[in-house]
Amino acid sequence: MSAVLLQQIILGLREGSLFALVALGLVIVHKTTGVVNFAYGHMGMFAAYITFTFYTLLGLNLYLAVAIGITFAVFLGILTEKFLLRPIRHLSHSAMLIITLGMLMILEGMALLIWKQDFKQLPNLITGIPYRINLGNSFLIITRQDVLIFVVTTAIVFGTFFYLKYTKLGLAVRMVSQNEEASHLMGVKVGRVYGFAWGLGTGLSALAAILAAPKEQVQPNMMLNLQVQGLTAAVLGGFDSLPGAIVGGILLGIIEQLVAKYISVELKTALALMVIIILLLVKPEGLLGKSSKRRV
Amino acid sequence: MLELKGVKLKYGYVEALKGIDMHVKEHQITALLGANGAGKSTTLRAVSCLNRIEKGEITFLDQIVHRLQPSEIVHKGIVHCPEGRKLFPFLTVQENLLAGAYTLKDRNQIRSLQENVFTLFPILKDRRKQMAGTLSGGEQQMLAIGRALMAAPKILMLDEPSLGLAPKIVEQIFDTLVTLREEGTTIFLVEQNANAALHIADYAYILEVGKVVLEGEGNALLKNENVKKKYLGG
Repeated sequence: MSAVLLQQIILGLREGSLFALVALGLVIVHKTTGVVNFAYGHMGMFAAYITFTFYTLLGLNLYLAVAIGITFAVFLGILTEKFLLRPIRHLSHSAMLIITLGMLMILEGMALLIWKQDFKQLPNLITGIPYRINLGNSFLIITRQDVLIFVVTTAIVFGTFFYLKYTKLGLAVRMVSQNEEASHLMGVKVGRVYGFAWGLGTGLSALAAILAAPKEQVQPNMMLNLQVQGLTAAVLGGFDSLPGAIVGGILLGIIEQLVAKYISVELKTALALMVIIILLLVKPEGLLGKSSKRRV
Repeated sequence: MLELKGVKLKYGYVEALKGIDMHVKEHQITALLGANGAGKSTTLRAVSCLNRIEKGEITFLDQIVHRLQPSEIVHKGIVHCPEGRKLFPFLTVQENLLAGAYTLKDRNQIRSLQENVFTLFPILKDRRKQMAGTLSGGEQQMLAIGRALMAAPKILMLDEPSLGLAPKIVEQIFDTLVTLREEGTTIFLVEQNANAALHIADYAYILEVGKVVLEGEGNALLKNENVKKKYLGG
């Protein structure tokens, strides 16, 4: 394999990890509660602002500020589900969709109102000399933050899988995602499972936002691209499949890098989306989707 | 054990139950028969609090239960095996059984309940690693009943367990219900297959458009001319 190609793949892995993280949260929420959360990225953005406030304005320890930001997002997710979405669950999915769209606008407006227009900074969570990988006669630089993103994503992915597979709450999440009514009849408190999914999902969005912040800056639209790419990754993977979201995210990251390198940087997102359209034409249920699966 | 008094229930403007009275006695099979749309499933949904009743009262062991949440109903020991089975298709047979025992904490109890289900339905033991969605119709029904039994029910409510199954399998399922009664389980059975249900039922109610039109012991109803004409095809 040529060094240049390998380099692109490594860069793609880094980008793809973030896409996967965003996609994972979107899929968990959709699979469990049936809602595609349009405000997903913005909820993470808001959490990044909270982290910025505690770290820069109040001078708190960075990791403590990050923990506060993520905790804030977890509660934002739980409360949004409980007070905005659950009361209208009986109406329709599109009604809930509109609510999340409203949330998106409100969060964006509030961020502008509170923190004004100028971009804010959040530092890398880990600093130090970047790693240098020698590839024949060229070399590749990877920052420690990039490695951190990859490691954190991997840890979260495996953590989530094991949690869903081997714990009682995990079983409840899988039950609710497959048949809500039967879950009621087995004694599951379905509302709590919704809350859990929203809390977990929104927490992941916050984590993605904070990890992406050093590159994207903290600003109202910082998560716009990640939300689109995360959504795309989720669709690519079949939308209801957690492994699909991961594979979709990584794949999308690599495709984008390859397009950027060999075709055109400006076209990387557009062409990546083209590839996905073609892929979905050939395999409409997504890479790891289950074609027969429908929410009841 | 389970009593419904003057229960009324509406779906929007449609009155599905127009004030029904029923009594399910302990250690008996009580059958609830009737045509499509008579309100049979609705009665079970009212008991498990999936739908709220508008008037009347539902008591279980002399406690009012119609204002509880569905999950609390399960904790009380009322377990509802729904129409159309409603299995978790992408969980394995064993995971479905575990899901049924969701309210239980004692691992030994769960294990012994599972052994009991495997004794009743040996085929489930062979299939325990298989996804529930890949089972045949009869096996799925067995799994649905097994899953309900995993909650250690004081009263087991079954909604049309014979639906869409071959006569031979229906016979097997109904034999199992008789076995369960002998073991002490109370059963509230909703059925369209009146013939099969009346043969095993201690007592039966017949619903017509949301009202109880006839009730009596299973044997007595089997001989009733009206029942013969309307529900037993002759």
